[in-house]
Amino acid sequence: MENTGVSKYTISFGLSLALCSVLNALLVVTKEKSRSVTSALQRITGHQWVTHVIIVLVLFLFFGWLFAKSNQGQGMKLAVNRLTEIILAGIVAGGLIITGFYLVAD
Amino acid sequence: MNEIILMFHVLFGAGCVITAVWLFVDVLHADAANRARIRRLSWAAAAFMWCAFLIGGYWYVVDYPADKAIILHGPWPFAHSYFMETKEHLVIMLLLLTSFLPVATANNLAVNREARRLVLWVLAGIALLGLMIEGDGAMIAMGVKVALLAGQH
Repeated sequence: MENTGVSKYTISFGLSLALCSVLNALLVVTKEKSRSVTSALQRITGHQWVTHVIIVLVLFLFFGWLFAKSNQGQGMKLAVNRLTEIILAGIVAGGLIITGFYLVAD
Repeated sequence: MNEIILMFHVLFGAGCVITAVWLFVDVLHADAANRARIRRLSWAAAAFMWCAFLIGGYWYVVDYPADKAIILHGPWPFAHSYFMETKEHLVIMLLLLTSFLPVATANNLAVNREARRLVLWVLAGIALLGLMIEGDGAMIAMGVKVALLAGQH
């Protein structure tokens, strides 16, 4: 028998994955455009890239947890095919922003 | 010692890509018999990626500045300014994808066609992004090599 549902964590962390892929790319653009942002990231851990990674990972866990807790703890409701499309869109957008930015930035 | 660290970084990265391709085939034929293997392999892919990431991250912070200086003074400065810059940020997306994989494969893929489709797309993303990042690594290594060779003449 076919089943079309997935766990609430699949939906919440899938959405968080898509969101954080785009946020990761936007953070890249922000720190490359602003020396003060890069310096601030550098000060936190001693290396701007390490701070960047920690921020994205913490956001991934936070949004995954937040989306799972929404809807009175039942998590967000979303068709699985729609979730797949959102994840793909997030990954492609994040990838294009990063590769495109460095292509035109230098 | 630095080179050995770097080889383990590449080894674990390749292990992640190979495991993703293996999983892709297994998920295409998902049934009750391979359900446990799919779950174990998805954890293995995530573990390989985390090992590659932590080793590569350590090397990038501690050892790469010397290579960066060599690359930037050589004929291929773009090996750093494009390939390393994109690699160090695309790899974060790859880390998120592989960390999500065990969550997605915890669903019963044998009876859930949409969940299978989701996992197949995630695996395709891991394999393609992983290969792209391996290629970036090759360009960075070549950037060091051409700079050192140019310095000999």
